[in-house]
Amino acid sequence: MHRRLALLAVGLALGLLSIAAIAAAADTPPEIPLTLDKNQFQPSEVKVKANTPFVLVVTNKGAKAAEFESKDLRVEKVVPAGKTVNVRIRALKPGTYAFFDDFNKQATGRIVAE
Amino acid sequence: MGGAFVVTLREGFEAALILGIVYTYLQKIGAERHYSYATWGGALGVLASVWLGVLVTAFSGPLLDLGPDVIALCVIFVAVIVLTWHGYWMRQHARAVRGEVQSRIDAAQVTHRLWIIGLIAFTGVFREGAETVLFLWGLLTQATSPSGWASALGAFLGLATAAALGWTIFRGGRRISLQRFFAITSILLLLLAAGMLSTGLGRLEAMGVLPQSPTVWDTSFALDDHGFIGGFLGGLIGYRARPSLLEVGGYLVYLIVAGAMLFRSGPAAPRSRPTGGRVPAHSS
Repeated sequence: MHRRLALLAVGLALGLLSIAAIAAAADTPPEIPLTLDKNQFQPSEVKVKANTPFVLVVTNKGAKAAEFESKDLRVEKVVPAGKTVNVRIRALKPGTYAFFDDFNKQATGRIVAE
Repeated sequence: MGGAFVVTLREGFEAALILGIVYTYLQKIGAERHYSYATWGGALGVLASVWLGVLVTAFSGPLLDLGPDVIALCVIFVAVIVLTWHGYWMRQHARAVRGEVQSRIDAAQVTHRLWIIGLIAFTGVFREGAETVLFLWGLLTQATSPSGWASALGAFLGLATAAALGWTIFRGGRRISLQRFFAITSILLLLLAAGMLSTGLGRLEAMGVLPQSPTVWDTSFALDDHGFIGGFLGGLIGYRARPSLLEVGGYLVYLIVAGAMLFRSGPAAPRSRPTGGRVPAHSS
């Protein structure tokens, strides 16, 4: 009984390890640019592949600090004026995820995962 | 101007609330001469905020893509721990501190260590501090035109309003009885800590440290958490329009465990705290 449990645990651990290894090998998530200029996100709709992690490369071309925020994605990231910040986003299920500039609520956009 | 006002009011509100409670607490236990613990905590919180703000502005690169997130997470979980500890302590000693003023301070110094108060003040200020610093910095560099000045003025009015709210809590808190003050603030801090814990869990989920869990409900049509009231409730009691199972579960488990711990009037023997404040190492 104990042996079977031990085997199961080892098997599980190996399985998890291999999954982690595969994930690490494939860990070059695609970079998707997003620019904030004149209080608007460009593009305002970002299309991404569902179930694939990616990196949003957010550039703030405005003269004021911005905060890229998404309640749906649980992301809150300040982007100082003229700076670029990488925001890692985990694999998303198909759907729409809203984001906005928390320092200037007029600037909004959404990510569409499909 | 209005936009800037709302941003700084919201960012400053939580800090003002916590500082107001902390100063009132010191006053209530008769430790006015130990206000410096709260003052130092708050001042160090401001310093740390400026430091982080400068760091984020001056540098970029992988460290700063992740660094601020990790710091934010640590602050969140430390805040949950110290708030829980403080609430528990207040509950345990609600009866004891009714006595002589000197014995109250002694009790606080011996069993509670006043530096916890300083740590609460620090996390309260630092949590939204760096953001506020960067926001203000951005506005000030723009304050060359009338509209730029108006925004900067609005931002400072927002902070001033938040500070006034904190002051009101302090003034009002002095009038109500010690028992009631302990009762109200322990519930308030409990909800605040539950909201923070659920925020922290949500962040860990988003970072891929914790597995993704399904969305439990969607009330964004009725009360959006992007909006003023929704955002305000989000900061105060942890309201989310589209929470995940992990966030809701963490919130409820915390409320039940910490609530049971707080409101079960037992002996003053130290019991173990809930394990909500664990920060798993980030591994990606």
